[in-house]
Amino acid sequence: MKNLIRLGTATLLMGSCLWAASVDESRGSLVRVRASIQPYDQFRPWQKKAPFGLNGTGVVLPGGKVLATAALVENRTEVGLERPGSAEKCAAEVEAIDYEANLALLRPTDTKFLQGFAGVKMGPALRAGDTAQVWQLDKNGEMLRNQAEVLSAGVGRYPADEAGFLLYGVRVSLPKRDDSYTLPMMRDGMLVGMMMGYDRDSQEGTVIPVPMIEHFLKDALDGKYEGFPTLGVSWTSLRDPNLREEFRAPKSGGILLTRVNARGTAGRAGLKEGDVLLSVDGFVLDEDGNYQDSLYGPTSVGNLIRTRPIVGSPAKFHLSRDGKEMDLTGTYDRRARDEIAIPTLQFDVAPRYVVIGGLVFQELTGAYLQEWGDKWSERAPQRLVQLFSFQQEMNLDPAKKIVFLSQVLPSSITMGYLQLSGLVLSKLNGQEIDGLKSLAELADGAEEGNLVFEFTDNPRRIVLDAAEVKAMGDKIGKDYGLPALRRL
Amino acid sequence: MITSSGFPKFGRVSGGKEDRQKIGLVWVLFMVKDDWMTFRIKLFTLAVMGLGLAGCGRDEQLREARRNVVMVEVTSQTWDYRLPWNPGTVSSARGAGFVIEGKRILTNAHVISGARNITVQREADPRKYPGKVLYVAHDCDLALLEVEDPEFFKGTTVLPIGDIPELESVVSVYGFPIGGDRLSVTRGVVSRIDYNSYTHSGRESHLAIQIDAAINPGNSGGPVMQDDKVVGVAFQGFRGDVAQNVGYMIPTPVIRRFLKDVEDGHYDHYVDIAIRWMTLENHAMRKYLKRPDDGLGVVVTDIFSEGSSDGVLKNGDVLLSIDGHPIESDGSVRLEGQPVQMEEIVERKFAGDTVLLEVWRQEKLEKLSLRLRPAEMFSMYESLYEEAPRYVLYGGLVFQPLTANLMAVLMGSSDLRLRQIYSMFGQDQLYQETPEPVVLTSILPDPLNVYLRGLAGQVVREINGRKIRTLADVLPALEAGKERTVILFQGDQRPAVLKNRDVDNATPRLMAQYGIAEVSRTELGNRRLAKGSLQKADSK
Repeated sequence: MKNLIRLGTATLLMGSCLWAASVDESRGSLVRVRASIQPYDQFRPWQKKAPFGLNGTGVVLPGGKVLATAALVENRTEVGLERPGSAEKCAAEVEAIDYEANLALLRPTDTKFLQGFAGVKMGPALRAGDTAQVWQLDKNGEMLRNQAEVLSAGVGRYPADEAGFLLYGVRVSLPKRDDSYTLPMMRDGMLVGMMMGYDRDSQEGTVIPVPMIEHFLKDALDGKYEGFPTLGVSWTSLRDPNLREEFRAPKSGGILLTRVNARGTAGRAGLKEGDVLLSVDGFVLDEDGNYQDSLYGPTSVGNLIRTRPIVGSPAKFHLSRDGKEMDLTGTYDRRARDEIAIPTLQFDVAPRYVVIGGLVFQELTGAYLQEWGDKWSERAPQRLVQLFSFQQEMNLDPAKKIVFLSQVLPSSITMGYLQLSGLVLSKLNGQEIDGLKSLAELADGAEEGNLVFEFTDNPRRIVLDAAEVKAMGDKIGKDYGLPALRRL
Repeated sequence: MITSSGFPKFGRVSGGKEDRQKIGLVWVLFMVKDDWMTFRIKLFTLAVMGLGLAGCGRDEQLREARRNVVMVEVTSQTWDYRLPWNPGTVSSARGAGFVIEGKRILTNAHVISGARNITVQREADPRKYPGKVLYVAHDCDLALLEVEDPEFFKGTTVLPIGDIPELESVVSVYGFPIGGDRLSVTRGVVSRIDYNSYTHSGRESHLAIQIDAAINPGNSGGPVMQDDKVVGVAFQGFRGDVAQNVGYMIPTPVIRRFLKDVEDGHYDHYVDIAIRWMTLENHAMRKYLKRPDDGLGVVVTDIFSEGSSDGVLKNGDVLLSIDGHPIESDGSVRLEGQPVQMEEIVERKFAGDTVLLEVWRQEKLEKLSLRLRPAEMFSMYESLYEEAPRYVLYGGLVFQPLTANLMAVLMGSSDLRLRQIYSMFGQDQLYQETPEPVVLTSILPDPLNVYLRGLAGQVVREINGRKIRTLADVLPALEAGKERTVILFQGDQRPAVLKNRDVDNATPRLMAQYGIAEVSRTELGNRRLAKGSLQKADSK
């Protein structure tokens, strides 16, 4: 799901196309960002994994805030800023973070820390063929400027699952440095992008372009971060003349909507599956879903609907339905992304769980499945994979969370259940379960009698004695060293 | 003739053929089975059975083996599920077999599967005789061969079939493994007697005996002997880099069952009780079900529709005894004084036999009888060997039924939906609605289908408004299309739309270009699929 290409670690290598600049110049624009990272352990939801550190380069913005990538500070326990070429340090707080766009805005806790920094201004958007420089800080604070060429500018994949935004592909030869997790791309002293991935073999990297950064900053600086809007549709190209005929599309242009999320921007505006979307906000779409961008030329509709508008701005659609053209209007939002039963994008959220007499229940998230590794869709319990992957077409109720038995801690009362895992809980004592909270309440409320757990799959039903669960109390937690028996 | 490379991790033991079985496939099939037949996987120890055999000299055993063990050389053809219209690749392999009563040769099914030519040869006679398959049982990896020329049997006797040997007792393996052309003997001890997966079928698990004698490619089908009797047929092992000194033989209860089954002139499949159950070891669960703490009984948790238990057992039933043998709470029964998995009672029976169950249902004791039948609805998980792959070709679109063989070639490239359908097919009883999912496996490039190429790998839902439940539905549905054909897929894929006139024009061109003689092959042959009653069975 997430596949960040880490930039290299500390080895001093002098490349061909770099030179050192003065300490003073970098002092005005860049800081080191040192993050202590400690991800949650989804398989042992009561604890975190081994901590490690990540170092990156942050860009100081006018106004005393620092721009970095979200990946640099994701799962942080703390973030510190450091002046290049000196040991001056300051803790920082994350003011806004967008995991989809892979951007984060940091604020030093000491307002004086960035005094004397002029801050970097936003530069122009680039197109393929343009050149720029990727800046790197050396150990002693000297700056290396590496010549980069933009190879492509278009909608591409971001590290977060299913995220596609405007992206530059660049070619640059980068020497290995330890501050390289995030690097700014500059032109004429202005910021033109944030490099977020680099492949040392092909010497190609991916860069978050300025239009994305500006969108993020505009959203972040108004105090309430809302994120990038989404339409909530799946679509396919309409190049195939037979398909055009089948859906009575006009002579040229337009894309076919193959699924429309009723909660999303498009769904609430009235768009339906089978509609031929001809234009968005006045931009005409061709058969492959490209509009003519004034800067980038033919560009995917993804940029049109995700980067250009902000949440709350009006959306205008021109479409053809059963051969009749019509206009629909709506409002851009993120509901198709956020109102979802099993969250795909959930970072920095402690996994929720309840332990009942040794049965460990968790709420299903993309983060849990991701814990199964690159081949999660083959390795994770198939029922959980199915619910997660097909939740749109299964029309899962966003208000109802999926609770599953993730493992069984052996105890005197869980004998015979030890091999159970990956089972979706449907009921406890006949009551539907719509989240961990309701499960915990129901379990707490039962003083005696049976706790009958019903699952959607084999073995369907298991039973614990409520009085025995109560009597066991914290013992199971003590035996296994769990800091708490639940996190709701 | 012999290739020693590509011996699979857990594969059959005959020279040459091993590379047919991909390592990944073996593992995946294990997984699938694990999903819907957990009861088969549970490991168990069947302790010592059988009696000490009357002693007979090692010299005598060797003499008998030299008379009756034969080299089986096979040229076979393996279908290519990527190009189902092709006759497949030809390969040669060598295995072993031995003469049993009735002038028949017992060997492994995998030695002769897909055979186009079989020759058998004895040690004492340099001539090679043509052999013919009498019966083959892919589910337990056994086959019987006959040789028409009576000359062949001159000087042979019969290797008698014995019992299950004792743990740690010494056995000798005879065969023609790599390293030479003459009869080879290796010795070892019986290491373990247990249920194990039979990789040839990919779906089945039966009793198997692990021995530490060297078993290598070419040993397949050869007898494993103790004193003057056959105690097993060598059939599979691990690749050398996975485990050493681990070989498996098919024990005599499985051999006897096979020989008895074919007495009526044809081989039926193993029967299956077709349920899933849970151990009843938790005391709160026992109390809830109102069962005393007597250590007996297991709970039925799933009943597969169209299976032996369909309509007889219910979810939540507690099985207390099977054919009079009390069932322990871990699912074992005592058979001849030894603990064995309760399915062993069913394993030894045949289609049409009954099994008697004592069941605790709604706090009452009931006596039920089940009529046993094969679990045909799961036949999708079975590797196919003799049958030609079925397909329908339409405008360069290749439609194939989902089978274990197809999945083996699609693995890695297959998308999540297809894998999900495959792995959930048994568990979720998808066969009730779709006894045989049909996949658009590939698209032979042609100007006609230039816009359809992204659709390869999708599962077909409907053609021209007709539901596609098996491959047999495809041709009639295609014919129902007037002027144009609309194909819908599962999920939110776009439909494929083709003009019938364009397809008619393209078909001769496609067939010539891709060397295809027939546009379809749809006969099911002997195979049976689930009936697919749309009615949900009593599984709640």
